[in-house]
Amino acid sequence: MADLPVGSDEIAIGIDLGTSNSCVAVCRNGRPEVLANTYGEPISASCVAFREEGSIVVGNAAKAQVVHDPKHTVSSAKRLIGRYFFSEEVKKARSVCSYQIVEGPNHGVRIQIREDTFSVPELSAMVLREMKKIAEARLGQPVSKAVITVPAYFNDSQRQATRDAGRVAGLEVMRLLNEPTAAALSYGFGKGLRQKVAVYDLGGGTFDISVLEIGKDVFEVLSTCGDTYLGGDDFDDRLLDLLADEFLAEENINLRNDIFALEKLKVAAEDAKKGLSVDDEVDIRIPDIITAEDGRSISLERCLSRTEYAPLVMDLIQRTFKVCDEAIQQANLTVRDLDGVILVGGPTRLPLIRDAVRDYFQQDARGDVDPDQVVALGAAIHAASLVSPGGDQESFLLDVTPLSLRIGVAGGLAETILERNTPVPIEQTRTFTTVRDFQRSVKIRVYQGESRRAEDNELLGEFEFSGFKRARRGEVRIDVSFEINSDGIVNVTARDPDTGQKASTRITLSSGLTEEEIQRIMERNQSESLDADGQPAATETAEGPQAEAASEDLLDVLPEELPDDLLDESDLMGTGAAAEIVPDDLDLLDDVNAQTGSNLPVERKADAAEDVIDESDLFEAPGSMLRDPDEEPKS
Amino acid sequence: MAALEAAEIRALDRILDELDYYEVLEIRRGAPGSAIRAAYHKASRLYHPDVNRGLDADLREPVERIAKRVTEAYAVLRDARRRRIYDERLAEQSGVARMPLAEAEAEAGRKSQAERGGRTPNGRRYFTLATSDLARGDLVAAERNLRTAVTFEPDNAVFKSRLEEVQRRADAARRSR
Repeated sequence: MADLPVGSDEIAIGIDLGTSNSCVAVCRNGRPEVLANTYGEPISASCVAFREEGSIVVGNAAKAQVVHDPKHTVSSAKRLIGRYFFSEEVKKARSVCSYQIVEGPNHGVRIQIREDTFSVPELSAMVLREMKKIAEARLGQPVSKAVITVPAYFNDSQRQATRDAGRVAGLEVMRLLNEPTAAALSYGFGKGLRQKVAVYDLGGGTFDISVLEIGKDVFEVLSTCGDTYLGGDDFDDRLLDLLADEFLAEENINLRNDIFALEKLKVAAEDAKKGLSVDDEVDIRIPDIITAEDGRSISLERCLSRTEYAPLVMDLIQRTFKVCDEAIQQANLTVRDLDGVILVGGPTRLPLIRDAVRDYFQQDARGDVDPDQVVALGAAIHAASLVSPGGDQESFLLDVTPLSLRIGVAGGLAETILERNTPVPIEQTRTFTTVRDFQRSVKIRVYQGESRRAEDNELLGEFEFSGFKRARRGEVRIDVSFEINSDGIVNVTARDPDTGQKASTRITLSSGLTEEEIQRIMERNQSESLDADGQPAATETAEGPQAEAASEDLLDVLPEELPDDLLDESDLMGTGAAAEIVPDDLDLLDDVNAQTGSNLPVERKADAAEDVIDESDLFEAPGSMLRDPDEEPKS
Repeated sequence: MAALEAAEIRALDRILDELDYYEVLEIRRGAPGSAIRAAYHKASRLYHPDVNRGLDADLREPVERIAKRVTEAYAVLRDARRRRIYDERLAEQSGVARMPLAEAEAEAGRKSQAERGGRTPNGRRYFTLATSDLARGDLVAAERNLRTAVTFEPDNAVFKSRLEEVQRRADAARRSR
């Protein structure tokens, strides 16, 4: 089966790590193909089941278990990846998920399964490892390199966490690729098109829209926008609510209070949605969904038509078009300029969505694209071009950053360094100076988001720079570089321009794993997989040697990507203000001061207050090229 | 694709900070937008990290630096407003090579803000008059006042496009009568 191109012993796979389902593909001899699992299924559920006896099952078999053991079956973990425990999305997940979501260190998210707690990247890694195994079984050879796709609108924390998951799974993640970009690549690959296309990607948990210009061999993303709180799961929740409310009205029993009934409802809601993609009407039947207090077993039966379903979800669909408006406007285009629309994600099979998309874009979506597989196929094409560049059908991707990169300034404001939809890779340098005599260190908070108010954006981390010369205020210059690489990952470094010496950088991690934790998990996995003999299919392949190989690879990347002192957890949410430039926009400043900290957890609140009071850390940028860009000429 | 020569990379990296954005993309200063895009694609094809994965480790850093500068040049020059600000900088000051994107954007934003209302007192005055004419539905007066506003600020794109729009509407109104 392993008919590799002559002269190449490397193979790299593309993995679409989805919220609900995942898919793996490979591109050989210029032909991309999906690799099906042992049951011949092209897509596998992104679901992990922890069995009583200690074994772990991943994929469609795990999903089948969810109604029997909802507490120990994890699905849709991607909704939690790279998020703070206190975020809205995690709150929402805690209310709808039957498995236990607990708070970990650094305000991170952990999932409690019996006595064990798992980080979200670990769970994603289990899904990734399963996809790797499917590929190895189909290809008949070990696989260690992969391109993994992420929603275009994922922020830095979510991307870092996905990368961590890949490493934990024993994969060398060559690139993180944005899902819509991958879809466009698969659609336009080798066709020699010249088109402007929109990719409408409604997945299980996220919505992305990207506008691309496809040239002869260049795929240039013009803009991307998204909503990471909107996906197929929300459609299912709406139907679930309807069914549960009706049941409550009729039987006076709240099915939401019973996790078994709740899981059955979720499955039924998803099945009904899928059914309505094909038929005008579906029968929802859940026999013995619950036992009443009098011991009577009650079933749920109902017929649902497309006409009844439409009003439940219409507002969700309309929400996607608001995002589309934004993306098309950011691309400097109108709907009429678009030559094609590509639909991605299972929910886009719904005729309701197809019709709405046709109305909005004033054209039919491309029919020759499988919405469940197109992303993995694109990832595989890109993976192949990365292992053997210069191929005759090579396609070249130019992507953008989905979110504006900002730094915290006095008064709880966040100033833009790089605007959203700026092409990547890119770097911007700002020069700062100290404001106190013999100041030892400076701190910068880095955010992603579209608000001028710091707290409305996502805090990526806090960077501290020290080790520069002892000098009076204003005499020290520090060049700080903000880089976004082609994975969409943010790197911040500082340099003393006089000596050329790199100042030490300390990043306080956001919601991700520390390097230590990653190593610990990898070691644990390694030892587990070594004594995993005789375990069920899920842990069957020989992973020991590969995991080892992967960790050797890691040593190469480590120093560059993750400075040693990054390990210091204690620094998170440290004291000291992350402020440097004093904005002169005093009205806005007052306004923000009045409201500072309203949504932050306790530790951060205290900190945010310091931003305002403690000016001792303030430092400003000298020189004409580095003045505050928001500075208004006073008239 | 021809592999990059090590010496070539090092030489370009060394002088990178002295090159203005046009030189980075290897285009002339008056080049049209389509040429900027083509140059960006061409340069990215050479320097983008994706095509240089096989490069020696010590060359990867300089190549990445060049790739990032190419993107930066494109991010400023592809936007007509930012490009105008950058061009002015180039003409005014010697030794200007880079311009922070946020600064280019903020300045471009200020400029268009100013254009929207007018830069000269007379321009502002007649443009405001035209706006209230339009609110009343008096196309003839609006056209006259806009024409006057344009004579004070002949290069104000906002004034000009508003005038064209009013002229179109006035023509249509005349025809239908």
